[in-house]
Amino acid sequence: MHISDGVLRPEVSVAAYVAAAAVTGLCMRRMRTEEMPKVAVVTSAFFVASLVHIPLGPTSVHLLLIGLVGALLGSAAFPSITLGLILQTLLFGYGGITALGANSLMMGLPALVAGWIYRGLRGRDWGGHMAAGFMAGALGTTLAAVFLALLLMTSGEDFYGVARVALLAHLPVIGIEALITAFVVSFLGKVKPELLP
Amino acid sequence: MEDGCRGLLHKVVLGGFFLVAFLLGQGGRDAAYAHRVNLFAWVEGGKVHTESRFPGGRPVKGGRVLVYNAAGVKLLEGKTDEEGRFSFPAPPPTDLKIVLEAGMGHRTVWTLKAQELGEAAPHGPSSQQTTPSEPPAASHREAGGAPALGPEFRGLLEEVLDRKLEPLQRELAALRQQGPTFREIFGGIGYILGLLGVAAWAASRKKGR
Repeated sequence: MHISDGVLRPEVSVAAYVAAAAVTGLCMRRMRTEEMPKVAVVTSAFFVASLVHIPLGPTSVHLLLIGLVGALLGSAAFPSITLGLILQTLLFGYGGITALGANSLMMGLPALVAGWIYRGLRGRDWGGHMAAGFMAGALGTTLAAVFLALLLMTSGEDFYGVARVALLAHLPVIGIEALITAFVVSFLGKVKPELLP
Repeated sequence: MEDGCRGLLHKVVLGGFFLVAFLLGQGGRDAAYAHRVNLFAWVEGGKVHTESRFPGGRPVKGGRVLVYNAAGVKLLEGKTDEEGRFSFPAPPPTDLKIVLEAGMGHRTVWTLKAQELGEAAPHGPSSQQTTPSEPPAASHREAGGAPALGPEFRGLLEEVLDRKLEPLQRELAALRQQGPTFREIFGGIGYILGLLGVAAWAASRKKGR
């Protein structure tokens, strides 16, 4: 889902850089020192998740984990995803350096939204965590696909066409991530609730 | 009792999701699979061949290939086939910029140098239209060190070389298309831990004062 170099118009790339830097800065100021080890672990998970290919019938898809990062980190999710994306771009060649700002917004903002949804929905019991985690996991990647369509619309592509293709293509990922997020947060809620925001 | 019901519910939900995922995965699997695309182009027998793949070797089916010359003028465009390949007759020598658009923001560029095209030109369809007297002149101009070689010999040599080099060129393409290695993966994790460690250290120093 990473946007490559040369796809977006220069002014869009620059604007996205500025916006992404602003949001990263705001979120970093809210980050507490005690959170940092957790941010490191979750960022590492996000960084390598793109390498996890899930065989699914005759095909395979890979994870994004946007919703999980949002649910686990809250407002720290945005800098976490930005850092993960920078390293994915530099080391794996995913996306592109000029498109980093746009990619960061495209995946970071859905993570923030997923985090808010998770904290708003979860109850005290195990089932509540499960349902909220499921919603957050599904929403993260869904919103990212919508953001992708919005960004590509600025370079002249048809919004509904891209959104439909991107959503359809990512439906397996959305389903798997909803389940992963639900199980991870419900498990953590049971054994180590202090890890959840 | 309640736990049992939940267990069953989870199994049903899980099964349903995998079914839906399986059905829909068929539609857009390439797009979901990719975070980047690779394009590799080479000249062989008067044609430019391109091969487009996602990391891990899955071909880009129906990707848009645009070919520009050194001046940025679009020469032609086409679509990749089931195996991610697209070939076109070699144009007159110029630095070619070959752009692959694989949809949903995936794009990559390959530059083919004029020299590579220059060697293939005598085989190209353009040279077939020229008068028979021209190939010797061309070979005279290019192969300054070996003027004794006739055009037939040159052609044969190139044909044999093309055939011999093809597996090598394919292997080279496959090498370029490999996914990240362990070094990059663990290097990245190390960067993340290190950077956040430095941030935590800085933050704790600030707090200590």
